[in-house]
Amino acid sequence: MFSVFNTEMMKLKNTKILWLVLIGVLPANLVSLIALLPKIAPAGTPAGINLQDMFYRQGQMLTIWGPALFALMTGYIIAREYQERTINQLFSYPVARVSFLAAKLAAVLALIALTTVLSSVSVFVVGAKLVFQQHADLNVLWLGMRMNMMICALSFGTIPVAAALSMVGKNIIPVAVLGVFVTVITAIGEAGHGSQGILFPWLTPYWPVRQLAQGIAQNSGPNPYATPALVVLALTFIISLIFCVVYYARADVHSGS
Amino acid sequence: MGFCLRTHHLTKRYGEKAVVHDINLSIRTGDIYGFLGQNGAGKTTTLRMLMGLIRPSAGEIELFGAGLKGSRAMALERVGAIIEYPGFYLNLSAAENLEIHRRLMGMGNKECIDEVLTTVGLLDAKQQKVKNYSLGMKQRLGIARALLHHPELLILDEPTNGLDPVGIKEVRQLFLDLARQRGISILISSHLLNEIELLATRIGIIHKGKLLEEIDYEALQRKARQYLEIKVDDEQRAAYILEQKLGVTDYLVAGPGILHLYERLDQSAKVNFTLASNGIGVKEIVLSGDSLEDYFLKITGGARLV
Repeated sequence: MFSVFNTEMMKLKNTKILWLVLIGVLPANLVSLIALLPKIAPAGTPAGINLQDMFYRQGQMLTIWGPALFALMTGYIIAREYQERTINQLFSYPVARVSFLAAKLAAVLALIALTTVLSSVSVFVVGAKLVFQQHADLNVLWLGMRMNMMICALSFGTIPVAAALSMVGKNIIPVAVLGVFVTVITAIGEAGHGSQGILFPWLTPYWPVRQLAQGIAQNSGPNPYATPALVVLALTFIISLIFCVVYYARADVHSGS
Repeated sequence: MGFCLRTHHLTKRYGEKAVVHDINLSIRTGDIYGFLGQNGAGKTTTLRMLMGLIRPSAGEIELFGAGLKGSRAMALERVGAIIEYPGFYLNLSAAENLEIHRRLMGMGNKECIDEVLTTVGLLDAKQQKVKNYSLGMKQRLGIARALLHHPELLILDEPTNGLDPVGIKEVRQLFLDLARQRGISILISSHLLNEIELLATRIGIIHKGKLLEEIDYEALQRKARQYLEIKVDDEQRAAYILEQKLGVTDYLVAGPGILHLYERLDQSAKVNFTLASNGIGVKEIVLSGDSLEDYFLKITGGARLV
């Protein structure tokens, strides 16, 4: 299984997939660095660097761009086998088709993790500097790390939907349309700051970001929609994954597909 | 000699339409099997079923004596294939594409990549990205990939597509060498009669999804060869005279008073004179028999190979 995953990662060499990672990474880093601009506290004194605010900005940016970018990454990894007509060879190997699907999804998870880690580089660099100067609250650093891990895990929940669209469409275009659609919805949802927005599976990764924001706004209490949102996301993941497994394992591969 | 590949009543239907119908292929170990048919006859669909890319609607596939259903992975380890078009990851070099193949086939030795690239004459271009390869180079690389894991059976769908005449000749020689020197069985599909004629030891003719005939090339040659049909009053003496006077060896006593002469096809007057001047009564001399193409046309009801 590891060798199959390894080959999936090899296939990404010299591709433009890293540009997609950068598109997710750069805005998140730039927006979180805005927190470094000079600010005045309500008392009229200069305000210090707020690490929690930096994490919030980074998480918000990542959860707006992430769904579209991660869908495109999935689309590329799945659909290119059809578009470049390598699917004939791929399915002729003495390897179960489901193993290829698992390896491809694992490759997407690795890219999501890479994007998440790189998007929080500037926050962690600033955080490390503050820790060195003994001005940082280690608890906030841990909260930020936990938020990023949750974004990563929750973002993976909708990946099988993008995978299903790619294998049925045998093309990246359906996934690109999905990406545009979910970006619009996530941007509107996050701008509204509504608690129930996280019920939309592509917005569920915003839940841990919002939890962090609630801390900033002194708005205590957990999001009442968290459990239903997680149920919706889990169902989305399971149903679309079952579809992917069945379709990938059973579909005929025809000329030109 | 055993069979490396057999199909039993292999059928593929889409709705009511059977694109491959009740095909019983039998390829013996060591055969170069020419799978001949027009475009759209069902060759590629059949090959896709053999490689597990398409599920048969009915019938069974037997590879190396075992059903494909139960031991697909083990059987496919012993098969190399190019189905329709050799697809590659264009962003990677030839060596990297073969490295992916090596890993997925579970091969331990990396040196096999250089060996196989040498075999197909692409060693110098191994670091070039495949997107810069010509169609002919991709075809060669496809052959290299099919050979990399030392298969016992090669399944090749129109493998000379895109090759220039020199390339076709080289690849043909490579296939012949593989079959003769390494004992690899080859199933090669083509709509090019000439290609099959120069390679195959056994031929299957498919037309409109049905396998019309499966025949050894030698038997086909006998069926399809042209000859002079000579009707005489004494076929034994006529044969003796032709042997003695003209040095003829390739002939057949086809029946009472009938000789089939497979040589000197353009010397019917000389044959007639020789027989007549030695006291043989010659009733008729006719050029008869079919070319391979005529034979194909006859059994497919006049379908042209395009």
